[in-house]
Amino acid sequence: MTTHFITAEIDLQENPLKLKQEIEEKLTPYGKPLRWAITDVDESKQKVKVEAIVTK
Amino acid sequence: MTQKPYSAVLIIPTGIGASIGGYAGDALPVAKAMAQICDRLITHPNVMNGASLYWQCPNIDYVEGYALDKFAGGEWGLESVTQNKIGLILDKSIETELIYRHLQATDAVRTTLGINVQEYIITDEPLNVELRMAESGTSWGTIGNPESLLRAGEKLISNGINALAVVTRFPDDSDSQALEDYRHGSGVDALGGAEAVISHLLVREFQIPCAHAPALSPLPLDVSVSPRSAAEELGYTFLPCVLVGLNKAPQFTLNQNYHTLWAKDIDTLVIPASAGGGSGMLSFSGLNTQIIAVEDNKTVLNIPPELLGMKVIRVKSYLEALGVMVTHRAGIRYDALNSSIKSIKSRN
Repeated sequence: MTTHFITAEIDLQENPLKLKQEIEEKLTPYGKPLRWAITDVDESKQKVKVEAIVTK
Repeated sequence: MTQKPYSAVLIIPTGIGASIGGYAGDALPVAKAMAQICDRLITHPNVMNGASLYWQCPNIDYVEGYALDKFAGGEWGLESVTQNKIGLILDKSIETELIYRHLQATDAVRTTLGINVQEYIITDEPLNVELRMAESGTSWGTIGNPESLLRAGEKLISNGINALAVVTRFPDDSDSQALEDYRHGSGVDALGGAEAVISHLLVREFQIPCAHAPALSPLPLDVSVSPRSAAEELGYTFLPCVLVGLNKAPQFTLNQNYHTLWAKDIDTLVIPASAGGGSGMLSFSGLNTQIIAVEDNKTVLNIPPELLGMKVIRVKSYLEALGVMVTHRAGIRYDALNSSIKSIKSRN
């Protein structure tokens, strides 16, 4: 098992729960998430940046 | 008919440079005050841990961050306990003298406070923790030997332990600017993000309460240390607060009954207004929970919860947040206390 830091860009959703679901789906291929948070929002592009720590 | 208990969650994420709660247990007074107006307050180690300083309130639940996210998402409930059986994991990287300092701190809380720390184990390999800073300015870290950490946890749990305190050797960086800033009450806690990774891993794998304390060499005296960071200058370890927090930390459960608490039972969530992008925060926004965003608690992030579609009540300070909670609990619109209140909306 190893710990990895990753970043991902995800489309902003109108519904916060849908946004959480989209983030978790986007992180899945990278490993099992330990911690993640949205660290940037680009309103003009309607994107959020997520930083996450995953294990593989 | 019995009155429903008023329950709240206070979140101040670690490693994001929170101006209140980003240092050495400096949000503990917020939690203590909030606990006076709630029947139950759920918060996490970053809020409650002040190294050698701590405060145990009977109605504050000490819940590790990974478990708090699971709780917020409705996957895990919380079940009160009378006293946990705590096991202590010590990283093999810790020098012998520092190991004894931690064992003496443990014996002190067992004897002086009656905390039930049953046994300790030294990992079979050095854990090799490394600290990192992300582009966003938040801290994180890696564990070189996570399997060794998990093996130690498994051994303790197989002997009947149901809560884990873990101490890992963190790199000494006594000359770094980040440490200098932290000791003087500015910047980001460079250790916080890595601490979260370690405890999150143990909670994810074992589903029992856990908290982490870093092992570090004592720092030279600095007469200008900030009051917000001063709690970490008091002793040789940061362990006492962790053991006290774990003593009555709720266990995680899938049972729904009168004795368990679930996310749907939470009346109010309080968060920093600039850090709305956490998993738990997004989860609570889908429930009937009032969310209060505190502007005074600045962080290195700029994620207003409203941009993510969350409906929040913005307040300037934690003092104001306490007022909003009091009115909420009393069944009074908080804006009815202001001189101006908007007229009722028409749906026609």
